[in-house]
Amino acid sequence: MTPPRSLPPGTWLHVFARLFAVQGSYNYEAMIGNGIAYAAEPAFRLLPGGRDGEAYRAAMARHSRYFNAHPYLAALAVGALVRAELEGEQPDRVERFRTACCGPLGAAGDRLVWAGWLPFCSALALLAYGLGASAAGVLFVFVGTYNVGHVALRAWGLRAGYREGLKVASALASPVLRTGPLHVARALAAVAGAALPLVLLRLSGAPLRPFGLALGAAALLAVALTRWQARVDGWRVGVALLLLFFLYSVVR
Amino acid sequence: MAIEVYRIDDRLVHGQVVVGWGQPLALGFLVLVDDQVAASDWERDLYRMGVPPEMAVYFESVESALSHLAEYRQLPDPGLLLTGGTATMRSLVERDPAITRVNVGGLHHRAGRSPRLRYVFLDAGEESDLRAIGARGVDVTAQDVPGADPVPLDELLARSGG
Repeated sequence: MTPPRSLPPGTWLHVFARLFAVQGSYNYEAMIGNGIAYAAEPAFRLLPGGRDGEAYRAAMARHSRYFNAHPYLAALAVGALVRAELEGEQPDRVERFRTACCGPLGAAGDRLVWAGWLPFCSALALLAYGLGASAAGVLFVFVGTYNVGHVALRAWGLRAGYREGLKVASALASPVLRTGPLHVARALAAVAGAALPLVLLRLSGAPLRPFGLALGAAALLAVALTRWQARVDGWRVGVALLLLFFLYSVVR
Repeated sequence: MAIEVYRIDDRLVHGQVVVGWGQPLALGFLVLVDDQVAASDWERDLYRMGVPPEMAVYFESVESALSHLAEYRQLPDPGLLLTGGTATMRSLVERDPAITRVNVGGLHHRAGRSPRLRYVFLDAGEESDLRAIGARGVDVTAQDVPGADPVPLDELLARSGG
């Protein structure tokens, strides 16, 4: 594949900064279409004729139309669309690309961000609270971590989209999007597992030793369930635990 | 199992299709009927990325779809057939009498189209296609997701705004 022409750093910066406003004119008719055109506009100024040229006006009209995708992964579409316009792709081909990439970008973004990164950052903030952080510290952990993730995702998306152009499916097959959600979900489970008991401990003000013993027993049970997950039903474990509690209360 | 839904949606494969309809109907496959997508590698690659691994997606032109529809109806899982516009669906309906219901899932804002529902905008040609489909006895309703109330064709065409 021929490498794309290089863009001035100022243009990249303008486009990247405008990606943060991609939902600024969200509406039912065009969804984030206006935001896509607004984000790509600094690069469209490089089209033949500049801002007064026919190519610029046509590109702006084309990209202000309906477009719906995950707002962070829209960066991938913006990168690809900028390259397509600057390379003079046929308008019909560009239109078809806009239609085709909405679904995959929406699905990938939902899995990675709404179902992965956002809950992970929330669990991390809970962990910080459980470990004794102040309110400002908890806020800093949540906002800081979340922003690092989505800023990095937008930067990667813009770069990958411009590099791949209309063949952006290969970027969508990148490990970031294919296996990223799985890794984030695992990390979320681990962090939430550590955070919730620590938060309960801090909220209850209970003595550390008995709470630690209960926590250790719960951890052992969790490990055992993980090992036997293919052979043990949840309801059987629940009934067994209820029986144990019943026996304990009778003996006691 | 049958093809459960014959859907017109200009977004083709997206969340409402794979999750909104896919989960409650336990869809096992999608048939995307579009002459241009069927002939384009990069478009097929992109649409595949929007489909979860457990769901198959088949790409067909109008002609190839008509010759394969009977086979799709024999598959063990329920399926959904998608077209991006009314004209393609009309071509299928006119040549395959087994299609008895059509779902208008989404035709969005574009120059020349006027609003009928929040998710349905139609131009004169599309209105004519839908009337022609309905005139063949096919039950045409607009419904974006299974939880929404279906809007019958007469009511849809009588509406003038979202």
